[in-house]
Amino acid sequence: MQKDKFFKEIQNKLHPGEKLVSTHCSYCGMQCGMNLRVDTRTNTIIGVEPRYDFPVNLGKMCPKGVTAYQQVNHPDRIKRPLIRRNPAWKGTAEGFEEVSWDEALTFIASRFTELQEAYGKDTLSVYSGVSMTNEKCYLTGKFARVGLQTRYIDYNGRFCMSSAAAGFNRSFGIDRGSTVPWTDIHQTDCLLIAGSNAAECHPTSMFRIWEVQNRGGYLIVVDPRETPLARRADVHLDLRPGTDLALANGLLHLLIENGAIDEEFIHNHTNGFAETKALVEMYTPEVVSEITGIAQEKIIRAAEIYGKAPEAIVMFCRGVEQQSKGTDNVSAYTNLALATGKIGRPKSGVATFTGQGNGQGGREHGQKADQLPGYRKMDNPQHVQEVACAWGIPVAEMPQKGVSAYEMFELMHNKTIRGMYLLCSNPAVSAPNLSYVREALKSLDFMVCSDFYLSESAEYADVVLPTTSWAEDDGTTTNLEGRVIRHRQAQSWYAESRPDWWIQIEIAKRMGRGQYFEHLSGPREIFDELRRVSQGGTADYYGITYEKIEERQGVFWPCRDEEDPGQPHLFLDKTFYHPDGKAKICALPYRPPAEEPDEEYPLRLTTGRVVYHYLSGNQTRRIPFLRDMYPDPLLEVHPDTAQKYGIAHGEKVLLKTRRGEAVYQVKVIAAIRPDTVFVPYHWGKHESINLLTNPALDPYSKMPEFKACAAEIVKLEEEERQHG
Amino acid sequence: MAKQLLYIEMDNCIGCRSCLAACTQCGGHDSRNRNYVMDVDPMQTRQTIPLMCLHCVNPACARSCPAQAIQIADTGAVLSALVEKCIGCQNCTIACPYGIPKFDQEQNLMYKCDLCYDRTKDGIPPMCASVCPTNTLQWLTESELAEKQSAHRLAGGKWIASQSLEPLESETNVKISLPGILQGVQKLF
Repeated sequence: MQKDKFFKEIQNKLHPGEKLVSTHCSYCGMQCGMNLRVDTRTNTIIGVEPRYDFPVNLGKMCPKGVTAYQQVNHPDRIKRPLIRRNPAWKGTAEGFEEVSWDEALTFIASRFTELQEAYGKDTLSVYSGVSMTNEKCYLTGKFARVGLQTRYIDYNGRFCMSSAAAGFNRSFGIDRGSTVPWTDIHQTDCLLIAGSNAAECHPTSMFRIWEVQNRGGYLIVVDPRETPLARRADVHLDLRPGTDLALANGLLHLLIENGAIDEEFIHNHTNGFAETKALVEMYTPEVVSEITGIAQEKIIRAAEIYGKAPEAIVMFCRGVEQQSKGTDNVSAYTNLALATGKIGRPKSGVATFTGQGNGQGGREHGQKADQLPGYRKMDNPQHVQEVACAWGIPVAEMPQKGVSAYEMFELMHNKTIRGMYLLCSNPAVSAPNLSYVREALKSLDFMVCSDFYLSESAEYADVVLPTTSWAEDDGTTTNLEGRVIRHRQAQSWYAESRPDWWIQIEIAKRMGRGQYFEHLSGPREIFDELRRVSQGGTADYYGITYEKIEERQGVFWPCRDEEDPGQPHLFLDKTFYHPDGKAKICALPYRPPAEEPDEEYPLRLTTGRVVYHYLSGNQTRRIPFLRDMYPDPLLEVHPDTAQKYGIAHGEKVLLKTRRGEAVYQVKVIAAIRPDTVFVPYHWGKHESINLLTNPALDPYSKMPEFKACAAEIVKLEEEERQHG
Repeated sequence: MAKQLLYIEMDNCIGCRSCLAACTQCGGHDSRNRNYVMDVDPMQTRQTIPLMCLHCVNPACARSCPAQAIQIADTGAVLSALVEKCIGCQNCTIACPYGIPKFDQEQNLMYKCDLCYDRTKDGIPPMCASVCPTNTLQWLTESELAEKQSAHRLAGGKWIASQSLEPLESETNVKISLPGILQGVQKLF
């Protein structure tokens, strides 16, 4: 057990007639430890009790975590499989009838087979997510490639972690979200946090972040808004959305100028510095201030602090990653740690705040269009050979690599893809440019959706399969540190719901592919197969077992054999994962967002989250406490901007971009740049801000540019305001 | 068992209201939360502060109760109104300098923070301090509290922390630091 300064030995409260099941939260990448309270008479989950001994969060939970248990026996749960035979109802919750599992599965298999016979194997697609266990993520990749034999599989991590992944792979040759465990955070001397609203999105990091300041360390925050995190920052770099790359280059410029770089580390352990140094020459404070809108003194002060700090951690999140240059932003911020040598030792390094619960593990084991288990790549023939062999299929049968999540919608529009199996995701809310995406869903010949609530995306399905919630199944996830942890089943399967692994095995059997799946009788067997298949890959899980996770409160990958304790810290021997063992310092010229403000659309729109809701809101909007605290999306506008447009706090206005428009209530707040407006993205239908966002993709990660586009506010007439 | 106290460090609050969500989980709380988190100046800043029952040593709510429905536990916790005694007059809410006691119209009953008596009587931290992700709410021993007091007392003496001095009505069992805890911190470099 790792015990840090916050650890306290605390007994749990146990009420009569209850037992506690020790598990983790369903929501973000923090994967906070929690105990679920289970009524022993009815075997149902009835509440939550802190899990004081889990080293990452020590019992602490955010309001989503505290109320997460209320999802399980919620009245909105889907109880039985649903079929809708009249496609005219697509896009609504109407027209579904309850059927048996056998009827639903047989119907799915026959429609999938018909489509594949008529249009080829690749007419089917799998669109997945990472709010589910490693076992399910692994099996989903195998199900698509071996069960359905299609090349088209991708997942919602394309809207979440893909830029961090591509950036880390380029800089380090490995993509593990953090080079240090979270228990290092409060011990460092300087945190440089860019594009992360950690106070709302990863609240249980906050006690560690504040502790850096309590100890006399520094907090530098890069954000267009004065978030609850930025409010207490020593330096708040309030940049224009979409200008991070200029800032990161500018900081490196100053670190070089100040002599704060580590020449020896650069020489021995990195490539690309000379070229990068030449590039950042032009990013003087004056130039950077011009591009970013940040006062020069603040940029100079931030570089001075980071440069002087004995230990420092650079952290970032979707703010820098959800841009059409998100991958470059990640590598450019990572440059700061590499050039100063503040990496490869405890208390110093680089980390991204992983968004989804299993955003880390779910991107390692083959749900990504170009990737196979163990972080193997589909364009590497040896990798393909290894996995085909492990799966027992001829190499020639391994499908080619597919396309990214947003590109799949393009293939639906042109009828390359006619069928979709959607699970663990709600793209009708979370994808950019939603009018186009919703049309794509509507145009499908056949769509299956697996979810535990009837999400906005499920409303486009022909068949809806009720899956179990997180608390009804065993398995593992990999948290934002790279720590593999255990989720435990606390209650039996709700009504007639079934876990996604059961569903996929049953469909595979009915598609005549049962031989590759029938030996997998549950999560443990699937995990053991994952371990074997990942062996020798970058994300090697072979040495991780359920028992070892239990003993050690989680195991950090890579973990290559039974004796291997795993690696809480990466690169301690200063060896990186590129073939020459060196990291790459990347020369990345600044380019503006794909869409810059102009006369017609003079404002910058950025989007994000609020503390009470999670992703598309499909889960949290149904929880009474969370819904009451933040029922509807609000448009944040600076008082000066509000005055310019003649709009008042609480007034409803029309917000529009080149892609769409929506009506929002205005929240006037001085804690945002006057040239920027903000709307959270957790709502569906006409309230979705993603009706307005820009689908311009990052060339490497295929991440859409959620975080910066051009917008305009239109004041509504009196009558429209009443009814808008 | 060492006596433990609720300590509030206002500056840390991020307004997540996890304390309120967790409040419902304590035995005897009837799934209702009993405290408040306030936006300080919502059109200017995102600063928020928790407004918790401070469990006064000589509580105005109990003194004002004509039915003696508000009992004080051996832990110092000022308990919720006894169902059988409360007459629903709401004197307590009016008397409390912080407006803490809440009122259930249907049940004609006052309810308030009891410092999770169901937990704290056994030395288990209250739910709010257990879950608070920012350490705004902490459950401390008296020696830990003494450390906080020495760390946060400023030379000028004006600004106070962890003490029951001027800003509060009278002596309280819950100790608070007003915003500004970083003012006295010596920077590392």
